[in-house]
Amino acid sequence: MNQGTQQDQHLTSLMRSAQDGDSSAYAALLNEVAPLMRQTVRRRFGFLQPQDIEDLVQDVLLSLHAARSTYDPARPFLPWLMAIARNRMADGARRHARRSANEVADGRLLETFPAEDTNMLLSRYGDAEALAQAMADLPPGQRQAIELLKLRELSLKEAAAASGTSVGALKVAVHRGIAALRKALGAKG
Amino acid sequence: METQELIKRLAADTSTVRRLHPPWRRAVFWLAIALPYVAAVVRSKLMMVDPSQTLADPRFMIEQAATFATAVTAAIAAFCSTVPGFDRRMLLLPLAPLALWIASVGHGCVQDWLRFGADGLAIRPDWECLPSATIIGIVPAIAMVAMLRRGAPLYPRLTLALGALAVAAIGNFGMQFFHFRDASIMMLFWHLGNVAVLSLLAGWLGAHVLGWHHAKAAR
Repeated sequence: MNQGTQQDQHLTSLMRSAQDGDSSAYAALLNEVAPLMRQTVRRRFGFLQPQDIEDLVQDVLLSLHAARSTYDPARPFLPWLMAIARNRMADGARRHARRSANEVADGRLLETFPAEDTNMLLSRYGDAEALAQAMADLPPGQRQAIELLKLRELSLKEAAAASGTSVGALKVAVHRGIAALRKALGAKG
Repeated sequence: METQELIKRLAADTSTVRRLHPPWRRAVFWLAIALPYVAAVVRSKLMMVDPSQTLADPRFMIEQAATFATAVTAAIAAFCSTVPGFDRRMLLLPLAPLALWIASVGHGCVQDWLRFGADGLAIRPDWECLPSATIIGIVPAIAMVAMLRRGAPLYPRLTLALGALAVAAIGNFGMQFFHFRDASIMMLFWHLGNVAVLSLLAGWLGAHVLGWHHAKAAR
């Protein structure tokens, strides 16, 4: 008996148990079907991004789940599964074609200023733990001023009302706090 | 969502599944709902006509047999098309009885033309049979859609078009018993035209009525 037939018999038996309400057999079946589908989708749509391939695999699993009452255990499992997979892959290909038709690929990245820093699309601080520690080390007044003005983005007037200090004192506290943070993080980096 | 997470969710949703019966048996179930209803409608309308003459006409009997066979085979083909991995040759099943039905009506048209000349092929408005056609088709149509939705919507347009063909054919089968025997051209234009329009309309709506909506809802 060849390997394909053995695999089919194994999957048929899992599917039969799943139809009878055995959730562990169903989980085992889906865990065996998922890599099989990933391989099939990748072979047919090698040009897709990994997340698009995964989307199609999930689509097949959801469709298998929705159509599980149509499976007849007297018949082989793999042809039944592949009929669903082909149908979902055809739908996926149509979706991909529609999306591609509506998208315009533009390789140019617009530069507004020649300086390198101004052309960074995303700038974020990488070491969140060090930042949290530096914030914790600040004197309470400076920490509160930064939280109110920079994190909660309150206006100077609102922050002054919330903290009970003057606008001038807040300005000074923020200035000193930012300088202290820059120094602490710069020293660590 | 990660695939592993999806698998966990799907596996947790397992309950005993009621397996679908084979397509031919599902067609029998559908007929068991549709035929008594069609018979009841026919019975309520029979007092309007005397069926004895039409029942003695062999062409009428052939036409009725072809209409009924079209309904049965179209229903089987529609149910087959919702089973993954089905034999595609089953989709051709309604072609022979449908061709016989059309040929029978076409033969009547030729006979009318030979007998009455151009007058035998005159098409008159016949909107008064529309309410009867709607009433006779409503229960078979609801039953058909409900049963088709239990299958896999692999080819929703084709499936619903075949379902509509079955419904229109069983409706025509019933209507012939109480509808006045009309010129064949009227049968061709109004009755078979109605079948074609219904099937095309159903095909157009197929993806909305069937489709993999249940799969999307599970996400």
